[in-house]
Amino acid sequence: MRHRDRVAMALAREEPDRCPMQISFTPEFAQRLREDLGVRGTLNVARGGEHNPHGGGNTYELERAIDSDLILTSVGWANSYYAGRGTYTDEWGVTWREQAYETKFGTGHYTEMIGHPLAEDAALDSYLPPDPHRPELYADSERVVRQYGDEYWIVGVAVTTIWETAWALRGYERLLMDFLEDPDLADRIVEIPFRYHLAAAERLVRMGVDMIWTGDDIGSQKGMLFSPVTWRRFFKPRMAELIARLKGINPDVKVAYHTDGDVSDVIPELIEIGIDVLNPVQPACMDPAEVKRAYGDRLCFWGTIDEQRTLPFGTPRHVRAEVLERLRTAGRDGGLILAPTHHVQLDTPLENFWALVDTVCETSYESLRTKVG
Amino acid sequence: VADMTALTAAVEAGDRHTATRLTQEAIDAGVGAQEILDAMTTAMTEVGRRFACNEGVYVPEMLISARAMKESSALLEPLLVAGGIRPEHTAVIGTVKGDLHDIGKNLVGMMLKGANFEVVDLGTNVPPERFAEAAREHDARLVGVSALLTTTMVGMREVVEAVHGAGLDGVKIIVGGAPVTDEYAVEIGADGFARDAATAVTVAREVLAGGAGGGA
Repeated sequence: MRHRDRVAMALAREEPDRCPMQISFTPEFAQRLREDLGVRGTLNVARGGEHNPHGGGNTYELERAIDSDLILTSVGWANSYYAGRGTYTDEWGVTWREQAYETKFGTGHYTEMIGHPLAEDAALDSYLPPDPHRPELYADSERVVRQYGDEYWIVGVAVTTIWETAWALRGYERLLMDFLEDPDLADRIVEIPFRYHLAAAERLVRMGVDMIWTGDDIGSQKGMLFSPVTWRRFFKPRMAELIARLKGINPDVKVAYHTDGDVSDVIPELIEIGIDVLNPVQPACMDPAEVKRAYGDRLCFWGTIDEQRTLPFGTPRHVRAEVLERLRTAGRDGGLILAPTHHVQLDTPLENFWALVDTVCETSYESLRTKVG
Repeated sequence: VADMTALTAAVEAGDRHTATRLTQEAIDAGVGAQEILDAMTTAMTEVGRRFACNEGVYVPEMLISARAMKESSALLEPLLVAGGIRPEHTAVIGTVKGDLHDIGKNLVGMMLKGANFEVVDLGTNVPPERFAEAAREHDARLVGVSALLTTTMVGMREVVEAVHGAGLDGVKIIVGGAPVTDEYAVEIGADGFARDAATAVTVAREVLAGGAGGGA
């Protein structure tokens, strides 16, 4: 079965031969996996060959080697993550700093924001955002659609669509307070990334991607980061417009929405505005089986494998058990793309990673039907 | 007559302009500093309770309430100093080494201040020994450590070891952050775990009173 057909079937809520799978990696985990697989080629056409967790510029050697069904290509602010070493400023004016961390598998790094170009109110009047219409931004995505589109399910990544880029521009606590204290100013700020990512997503849809991956982290471990009222005021109408515009270009395009954390309070409204797929459904925050029971007839899921405990701290047996549990619950009757709930990080043992991949690839839906339990 | 109920309401609503005005009016009317402070801590206790119970208070609401209290208590500061009114407890807080994510830690700091703790905020990416040094330097009986990431969370164990290794036996350590659990806190020998910033205040009080700080 072609990878893209497997995904299409699952998103039509039918059971393909096996559950579709997608996995992304932090750069250092990607390097470890590259060595494990004996991949000789470079992992990315830019970035000094370093893997991009959001897809842009990747050679997809690793993704194809592990039998991923989805290929990600990204345009937008999220590409600023891992875009440099030391301290760097991206084209939005956001300043980043490399931050190292130690694991038993070596030293990794994150890139974290330390400077926000709209921290002062006055900066907004003269701020010029980057232009989303530059053709060179899309050259790599064109290559991906052309090269892999016949075989793989191509995902145009425009995550950090509104809120996350907006807070990068303004500052996290600052923008959260603006929502309540100066909503007009907050509107002007969130409009900047929204217009950019809307333009990028529209162009990706015109280029023929199968799905747009949009979204922002609006959930915390125990509930929404801000109230549903705030979400409805600033984000729901914009996300509704984005989805309508994308489906106006191609009614068959799927739209996936990413948010970490527990967002049970707004799932019905995400469905209402036309979201097809919810990602990543962190099992430490929301029970995937419960979400499937409640919304599985209207919503598909992408993710569900725990990255807060199972993958980094569990054993291959734990990983295998969790995958099988998900296939039987969230993946029942299709509707699931199995994936870790974040890029696989350097603290994950390779045995756990392979337990994930092997269990997905070796477990047919047929075998789940015939086995008792 | 200065209206302490209105001050409580203003802080609870995150209305910093009204809160600072009422604070100044109360000071001018000769209301005692402790009484004014109590009006604010009452508000922050309610904000924390509503946050923990999911009653309409989210992070933004908490932030503006904390700022209203911060600006109001700044007006009060000279009176508190003059009256020799000191917080009962001092807490040293920070994010674990390697972790720059500080919203959770900042919220804990705000809520502890809201509960009238003296808070020494060491910021982000704090080496384990720095927690121990600061606890000694400020005579703090509480250390709060935060982590967002699984890759950095494991460094919390070193903070516990550093504090205990420095002979600071009376110092209690509480931990929190997205991937942190009660079991993990027990495993590394921390005294308490808090699942959110509001609960951190409850847990802090419990461990300082000598109880088990398993905040759920």
